[in-house]
Amino acid sequence: MAMFSTYIAWTLTTNHGISYWPAFAITLVVSFLGGVGVHQAVIRPVERGPQIRVVIITIGLLLLLNGLAFWIWSGEVRAVSSPFPAGTIDIGGVAISWSDIGTIAVCLSSVLVVSAFFRFTKIGLAMRAAAVNPSEARLVGVRVPWMLGLGWGLAATLGAIAGMLTAPNVFLDPNMMQAVLIYAFAAALLGGIDSPIGAVVGGLILGVGLNLLGTYVDFVGSELKLPAALLVILGVLLLRPAGLFGKTVVKKV
Amino acid sequence: MNRKLIMTCVSLVAALALGVTAAIAGTVRGGADPGVTDNSILLGGTAPLTGPASQYASVARGAEAFFKYLNATKGGVNGRKITYKYSDDAYNPAQSVPVTRQLVEQDKVFAVFNSLGTAHNVAVRPYLNAMKVPQLFVASGATTWGRDYSQYPYTIGFQPSYQAEGWVYGKYLARTAPGAKIAVLFQNDDYGKDLLGGLKRGLQRSKVKVIAAQPYEVTSPDVASQIAKLKASGADTLAIFATPTFAIQAYQFANKLGWKPKHVINNAVASASTTMQIASSAGQNKLVNSTISIQFLKDPTDPKWKNDPAMKLYRSIMKKYAPSANASDPLHVYGMASAWTVSDALKKAGKNLTRESLRKTLDTFTSAGNPFMLPGIAVKTAGKDHYPVEQMLLQKWQNNAWSSFGGLWGYRAS
Amino acid sequence: MSRATLKTLAVFAALSGVVFVIPAFVNDFRAQQFAYVGVYVVALTGLNILTGYTGQISLGHGAFMAIGGYTTSILMIDHGVKDIATIPFAIVVAGVAGVLFGLPAARLSGLYLALATFGVALATPAVIKKFEGFTGGGTGVNLFGTPELTASLTPVEIIGFGLDFNNWLYYLCWTLALVGYVVAWLILRGRTGRAFRAVRDSETAAVSSGISLTRTKVLAFGISAAYAGAAGSLFAITTTFVNPDTYPVTLSIFLLVGIVVAGLGSLKGLIAGAIFIQFMPLWAQNVSKSPGAPAVVYGVALILLILVLPGGASGVIARLQQLVRR
Repeated sequence: MAMFSTYIAWTLTTNHGISYWPAFAITLVVSFLGGVGVHQAVIRPVERGPQIRVVIITIGLLLLLNGLAFWIWSGEVRAVSSPFPAGTIDIGGVAISWSDIGTIAVCLSSVLVVSAFFRFTKIGLAMRAAAVNPSEARLVGVRVPWMLGLGWGLAATLGAIAGMLTAPNVFLDPNMMQAVLIYAFAAALLGGIDSPIGAVVGGLILGVGLNLLGTYVDFVGSELKLPAALLVILGVLLLRPAGLFGKTVVKKV
Repeated sequence: MNRKLIMTCVSLVAALALGVTAAIAGTVRGGADPGVTDNSILLGGTAPLTGPASQYASVARGAEAFFKYLNATKGGVNGRKITYKYSDDAYNPAQSVPVTRQLVEQDKVFAVFNSLGTAHNVAVRPYLNAMKVPQLFVASGATTWGRDYSQYPYTIGFQPSYQAEGWVYGKYLARTAPGAKIAVLFQNDDYGKDLLGGLKRGLQRSKVKVIAAQPYEVTSPDVASQIAKLKASGADTLAIFATPTFAIQAYQFANKLGWKPKHVINNAVASASTTMQIASSAGQNKLVNSTISIQFLKDPTDPKWKNDPAMKLYRSIMKKYAPSANASDPLHVYGMASAWTVSDALKKAGKNLTRESLRKTLDTFTSAGNPFMLPGIAVKTAGKDHYPVEQMLLQKWQNNAWSSFGGLWGYRAS
Repeated sequence: MSRATLKTLAVFAALSGVVFVIPAFVNDFRAQQFAYVGVYVVALTGLNILTGYTGQISLGHGAFMAIGGYTTSILMIDHGVKDIATIPFAIVVAGVAGVLFGLPAARLSGLYLALATFGVALATPAVIKKFEGFTGGGTGVNLFGTPELTASLTPVEIIGFGLDFNNWLYYLCWTLALVGYVVAWLILRGRTGRAFRAVRDSETAAVSSGISLTRTKVLAFGISAAYAGAAGSLFAITTTFVNPDTYPVTLSIFLLVGIVVAGLGSLKGLIAGAIFIQFMPLWAQNVSKSPGAPAVVYGVALILLILVLPGGASGVIARLQQLVRR
C-alpha cells in the first residue's frame, strides 16, 4: 500500500503537474480512504476468525497491489523528486543532507501527531479500546469495526508518508518497499508494537546499528545484514516481547 | 484394525503395479525434429515476466517484435515463419526448469532461444544438451557459455561476457590512469563477480590495483554503507558493477558523501540512458559526467543514431508490433539484435533444417551486417572460440548522452 | 469407530489407485507437473500438522525445504549418495532443525510467530550464499545427468518395467506423498494429535489437562519440518537444480496459502491445495500475460477464495460428504 500510494503521488506530480506538497496531501487523503476501504471490503469479513485467514488475505492483497502497480506503471525505475533542497550541511564534521534532515523532521512530526491523537482525542481513545478489548468497548458504544477501519486508514497514510520519503533515495519501482518491509517490522518490534515513540526509537537504533554493524564488522558485511535484522526480531520476541517501550501483556492462565 | 491396514497396503501395491504397467505403454519416441515444419519454426524461451527482474522482459518482447516483422515482410526464414513463445519464470531458476521442460516436452519447440538469466540457463543446460535441444543465444553475459562449450555443444551465448567487459575496463584504466586506485561496488553473485574478475585480469600487468571491493545483496534496501566504505578506502576511481537501481543509488550516495572520484565506471547493464538520467538527478549529480561504460548495441536514445536507418527500422518495428512497449528501453534493441542473429543462423542452417544442422552451423559461424549492433563489431565463432560477440566500444557520458570513442576493443578468451 | 476407519481406508485405497494409474492417461510432461503436486502435498501435510492442527502459523517452511534440498544435493554431489538414499537424511536434518527452531519459537504465538518464521525464510538465501564453500553458493548445484540422479538420462528399471524421467519422478513423489499422508493420519488420530488440537483450541485448557505446551509445539515443529525436508529433497530431485533462489520467500508464502486453500485442520483437501500452488500461477498467466496482470489475477482469486470458502477445499469436501449421507 505504501508503494502504491507513492506511485499515486508520482503520477500526480509528473503527469498532472501538481507541485509536491499539494500532491503529498492529496496522496495522504487517498491512501487513508484506500486503507479504510481495504479494511471494510476485505479484512472485515475475516477478522473475527483465525488469524491465519487475515494473513492469507493480506498476502493476496500484496500480490494484487504489486501486480496492479506493474500493470499500470510498468516495472521501470523512476526518479522521484524530493521536496527538500539538495546539498548538505556540516554538523560537527559530519555532512548531513537536507533531505535526511527533512525526512527525520517529517517522521518525528508524524509520530508526534499520531501519539497525540491516540493519547488526547476521544477517537484515539476509542481506537485503543477497540484494540485492547473489543467486546467491552462495544458495550460502551464504541463502533469497533469502524475503529479498526480507521486503524487501517491511518496505517495506510503513514505507509504513504514512508514511501514518499524513501522514494527519492531508493527510486520508485513496484518492489521498492519490499526490502524496507522486514527492517520496518524489526524496528516496530524492537520499539514495542503498540508504541509510536517506540517505533521511532526502534527504527533509529536498528537503522544506525545495522549500518554500523555492516560497515565495521567484517563477518556481517552486507551479506548478513538481513539475517542480523532477523536475529534482532527473534531476540526481541524472546527476551522482551513488548519491545523497549511497549506495555508488557500478562496472559492470565 | 491391523488387517484393514494390511488390506490397504496390498491394494496400494496392486495399484502401483497396475499403474506402472499402464504408464510404460505411454512412451513414444522417434521421428523428425520437433518444432519445425515446411513453413514454420517454433522457438521457446523463459523470461522474467513477473518478479524482481521483470524489467528485463523487454529482451523477449524486442525479439518477439522482430520476428513478427520478419514474418510479415520476408515470410520468415527460408519460407518458414518463426513463432517465439516465451514463458514466465519469475526470475526463479526453480521455475525456469519446469517451464523449459514444458517448452521442450509439451510445446515441442525446435530450440530454446534468448532465455534470460545466468542461473536460469545453467539450471537447464545439462537437460537441453542431453536432449540435444539447441540452447541459443542465452541472454546472460556469464563466461561459462563460451568456456564450457566443449562440454555443452548445444549451448551458445551472445553478448560480450561480463569478464570480457571487466577486462576492457581494466585495460583502459591501465592505459589512461596509470596510478589509479580502484574501488569496486559489485553485486554479490556471478554477474558482479565476473565483472570484478575481468577487471582484475585486465589490470594484471599494470600498476593499477583494485584496493577495495564491496559486495551488496540483491535483497539490500540500499548500498549506503558499501559506498561509505569504498570512499573511506581512499580510492580515486569508482567502478559500479550493479543492476540499474543499485547503480543509481551508488551515484546518489557517493554524491551525498561528497566523494568525487576522478574516474567512474558503470557497467553496461546499468548504463541505459534512462538510468543515467535518473542517476544524474536532473543535472544535480555531477558524478555521472564522464562516466565510462561499454556498448555493443546502438542505444535508441543516442542522438547520434537519430537518422540511422537501422534505428528508424527499430522504431517502426516497435511502433507496429509492440506499440505499448517503451521504445527507449535499450533492452528491446538487445532482443532484436539477438533475434536478427538467430534468424541469420537459421537461414544458414539450410532448407533442410534440423537441430544438428543448426548446431553445426553455430560451430563455425560468421554473421555480418547486424543493423542493431555498432558498426564493425563481428559476430563469429570458430575453432575453440565460441564467444559470438567479443568486441565492444567504450563510451563516455557527456551532455546527457552516451558518445562512443576510440576504436573497437576486442577480448580474446584465453 | 471401526466402520468409519474402514470407510476412510477404502477411500484412501481408491485414491491411491487413481493416483497410480494417472500417468497412463496423461502425457509425459503433465506427469512431471503432477509430480510437483505430489511434492507440495508432502510439504502441505507437514505444514498442516503445524498450522492447521497445532495452530502455529509458519511463514518459513520454505527454509526447511531448503535444508532438505541442500542436504540432498550436498550428499549427492560431494559424497556420491544415490538420490533416494538422501531422502531419509533430508528428513532427519530438517526435522532436527525444526526441533531446534521450535524450542525458542514455542514461546511465540500468532502474528509474532508468523513474523519470526517470515524472517527465517528471508534470511535463509543470504545464509546459504554466505557459506558457499559448503553449499555451492549463488551459482547453485546442478543435479541433472549425474550418476546419482536416477533416470535423468536413461529410463530406470522397476520390477522389470522401464520408467522415463518424468514418470519416475511422478511415482517417487506420489509414493512419498501417500506414505506421508498415512503417517500423518496415524499421528493425528492418536494421543499426539489430540495434544496438537488441544494446544490449538486453547492453550490454557491444554495446560490444565497436563499437556506440556513446549513439548507439543516443539514436536509439531519437528514433524512438520521433517515433512518439509522430504518435500525439499524431492523438489531438488525433480528440479535437478539447487541454488538459494530456488527456495525464495514466495515459496514459504505459497505453502501457507496452500494449506488455507486446502482447509486447515483436515487432511482431506491437501491435494486441492497442492494443485492450487502448482497450477494457479499458470492459469493466471493464461488470463493475461501483460506485466503484472497474472499477479493481479492470483491475488484476486486468492482473496475471493478465502472470503467465499473460508473452510477451504476440505470444507467443500465435508459439505459434499454431508449431502451424500442424506
